[in-house]
Amino acid sequence: MDWLFFGEISLAGLAMGGLYALIALGFVIIYKATRVINFAIGEIMMFAAYLFLAFAGGMELSPWIALPMAVIGGSILGGVIEKTMIRPMLGESPISVVMVTIGIASILVGLVEFIWTADPQLLPNFLPREPVFIGELYLAPKIAYGFLIGSALLIIYLLYFRFSRGGVALRATASDQAAAYSMGINVRRVFNMAWVFGSLAASLAGVLVAATGGLSPQFGIIGLSVLVVVIVGGLDSILGALVAGVFIGWLETVAGAYLGGEYRMPATFLVLAIILVIRPYGLFGTHEIERV
Amino acid sequence: MFRNILEKGRRLAGLGSLVAALTVAAPAMAQDKEPIVFGGSIPLSGVFAFAGIHIHAGLTDYTSWINSQGGINGHPVEYVMEDTAYEVDRSVAAFKKISGSSSPATYYGDSTGFMKAIASELNSQGNTLMSGASFATALTDNEQYPYQFIPGPNYSQMFGIILEYIASQGEGGDMPNVAFVYSDTEFGKDPIENGKARAAELGIEVVEEIVTKPGSVDVSAEVLKLRRVRPDYVVFHGYVLSPINEFMVQMRQMGLDTQFMGTFWSSDKLIIDKMGADADGYMGVMPYNYYDSEEGGPMLDALRAQAEKSDPEAGYRPTGYMQAWFNAMVWTEVVKRTLDAGKELTGDNMAEALASIEDWDTGGIIGIPVTVRDMSFPVGRIWRVNAEEGRYEPVSDWIHLD
Repeated sequence: MDWLFFGEISLAGLAMGGLYALIALGFVIIYKATRVINFAIGEIMMFAAYLFLAFAGGMELSPWIALPMAVIGGSILGGVIEKTMIRPMLGESPISVVMVTIGIASILVGLVEFIWTADPQLLPNFLPREPVFIGELYLAPKIAYGFLIGSALLIIYLLYFRFSRGGVALRATASDQAAAYSMGINVRRVFNMAWVFGSLAASLAGVLVAATGGLSPQFGIIGLSVLVVVIVGGLDSILGALVAGVFIGWLETVAGAYLGGEYRMPATFLVLAIILVIRPYGLFGTHEIERV
Repeated sequence: MFRNILEKGRRLAGLGSLVAALTVAAPAMAQDKEPIVFGGSIPLSGVFAFAGIHIHAGLTDYTSWINSQGGINGHPVEYVMEDTAYEVDRSVAAFKKISGSSSPATYYGDSTGFMKAIASELNSQGNTLMSGASFATALTDNEQYPYQFIPGPNYSQMFGIILEYIASQGEGGDMPNVAFVYSDTEFGKDPIENGKARAAELGIEVVEEIVTKPGSVDVSAEVLKLRRVRPDYVVFHGYVLSPINEFMVQMRQMGLDTQFMGTFWSSDKLIIDKMGADADGYMGVMPYNYYDSEEGGPMLDALRAQAEKSDPEAGYRPTGYMQAWFNAMVWTEVVKRTLDAGKELTGDNMAEALASIEDWDTGGIIGIPVTVRDMSFPVGRIWRVNAEEGRYEPVSDWIHLD
C-alpha cells in the first residue's frame, strides 16, 4: 500500500467534501426552516457562478469584488424566489412545492442559456496557482483554497446560528413554527432569511466548484448529486450535512482512485442505500421527516 | 448585458428571417422538379446546444449555398429540422414527424443514442440515408446500420490517427507511452478497446486509463494517478472542455512534460478561447480544415463566403459548423451520384453511391482526396494550439487510414 498516495487522495477527497458540505448546508438551511426540498439549489449555484463570470470576465472587475457580488446576487435570487414563488404555495402539498422548485430550475437554465449561451465556460482564474503541499502531501491549489474559503463561511454560519438573534429565530422556527409565531418571531421573515442564507452558501459553493470544474447550463446537476449527501446526513441536520458532505467527498474520490472513475457514483449510492435501510431519516436527521 | 441580449435578439431575428426566407424561397426556386429534403434532429437546446446551434447554421448555410448553385441536378434543396434538446425520444419523434411529412432523402442525427435507436425504423423504411453528430465506431457496422455513415473517421479511427502520430514521435526506438482519459459514457468508452489494440500493434504502452464523470468536478485524484506513471502523452476522449483544462493545468503545475491530445469534439477553438495561454501545445485530430486555417480551396472558400454572407458578425465558425457543412456536402454528392445513375433515392441506392466515393476532392474542406471505407471517411490531421495566435496549426500531414 502506497500510503503517500492514499494520503494525497484522501486529502483531495476531504477538501472536495468540504465544498459538498457547503452545498448541502444551503439545502438543509432551507429545508430545516421551511420544510421545502429545494430542487433548484444546483441552478442557484449555477446562476451565481454565471454572475461571477459576468462580473469578473465580462465587466473585468477584480475577482475579489466579483466574488461577493456574485454570492450576494445568488442570495438575492433565493430571497426573490421565496417571496414570489414559494410563499404563495404555503399550505399547498409538499409535492406541489417541489414541482415549483423543479420549474424554477428549468427557468434558470433557460435564462442562462439565453444570456450566456449554451457554450461551456471557464471562470477567470482567481485562486493562487502554486501547488499546495501539506508535509509531503500534494493538494491541487484550487481545491485547497476553495476548501479554505468554504470553511470560513461554514464557521461564520455556525457562529451566526448559535449566537445571533436571527440564528436563534431560525432555529426556533425550525423546532416549532407555531410556538415561534406565538413568541413574536416573524416566521415569514425567517422563511425568507432561510432562502437567502441557503442560497448564499450554495452560491459561494457554486463559484468555487465552477472555478475548479468549469461551468455550463447543466452545472446544476451537481446540486442533485448533493442530494445524496443530505439524505445520508439527514435532511434537517446541519451537522449531518457537514459530516456527510466530507465523508461522501472522501469516499467518492477514494473509490474513483482505487476502483476507477465509473465506481464513484455506485460507491456513494451504495452508502445511500445502506443508510436508507438502517436509518431512513439519515445519520443525524429527526424521525419525523416526511418523505415526498 | 442588455446590449448582449439585444444582440442575441437581433441574431435570432436574423435566423428566423433566414428560415422564413428559405421556406418561402425554396418552392420559388423549385423550377419543375421536386425538392430534395435534408431532414434533421438538431439539438438547439439542452446539453449539446453549444454545438447544435452551429450545426444548424452549417446546414442552413449549405442549403442556401447549394440552392444558389442551382440545387442538386436542378432539384432545389429544403432543410427541415426540429429541436430535440439532445434527448433521444424527442429526436425519434422529430424523425417520425419529418419523415412522415417531408420524406427526407438524407437526415442529420444528433446523437449516437438516437442513431442506434432509429436504426430498425430507418432500415425498414429504406428511403433515407443518415449521418450526423456521431462518429461512433458501432455505426460503421454495415450489417446493422446499412443506411448510416460517419462524416469523417470514427472514434476508433481518430485514436488510430493519434496513435500513428505518437508512434512517429518515437526517437531511436524509444517509443513514447500514453494514458487514455475518457468520460464514463457510451461516447467516452467508444474507442478505448480498439485504441488499446492499435497501441499494442504500434508498440506504444498504455500506462494508465482514467475514467471520469462527464464534466467532472474535481480531477485532482486522477491527476495524482497520472503523476505516478508520468505518461508522455495523454489522449482525452468524451469531453468538450472540462476537465481537460484541469488535467493540463494541474499536471503542468506538477512539473510533468506530458503532451495532451484529443478527438474531434475535444478539438474546437472553444478550448483556446476559454483556456487562453494554458491551451498552448494542446493537440487534436481533426478531419476538416479549421475555418481560420491558412488552407484554401473552392469549397472552403465558398463555405467562408456563405458564412460571412449569412451572418457577417459571427466571425469564426466552430467545428460543428464545418462538420454539418461536410455532412451536407456528402449528402449532395450521394444524391447526385444516385440521380446521375438514373436510380431512385432509396437507402440501398444511396448507400451504394456513398460506397463508390473514391479519391473525392472536397474542395479544401479536407486537405487530400478522400475515399469511403466501411461507411466512414478515415482521414484526419493532427493540429496543435498556438495560443499566442489563438488558433490550431497543423503539425502532421493528412493521415488517411486504409
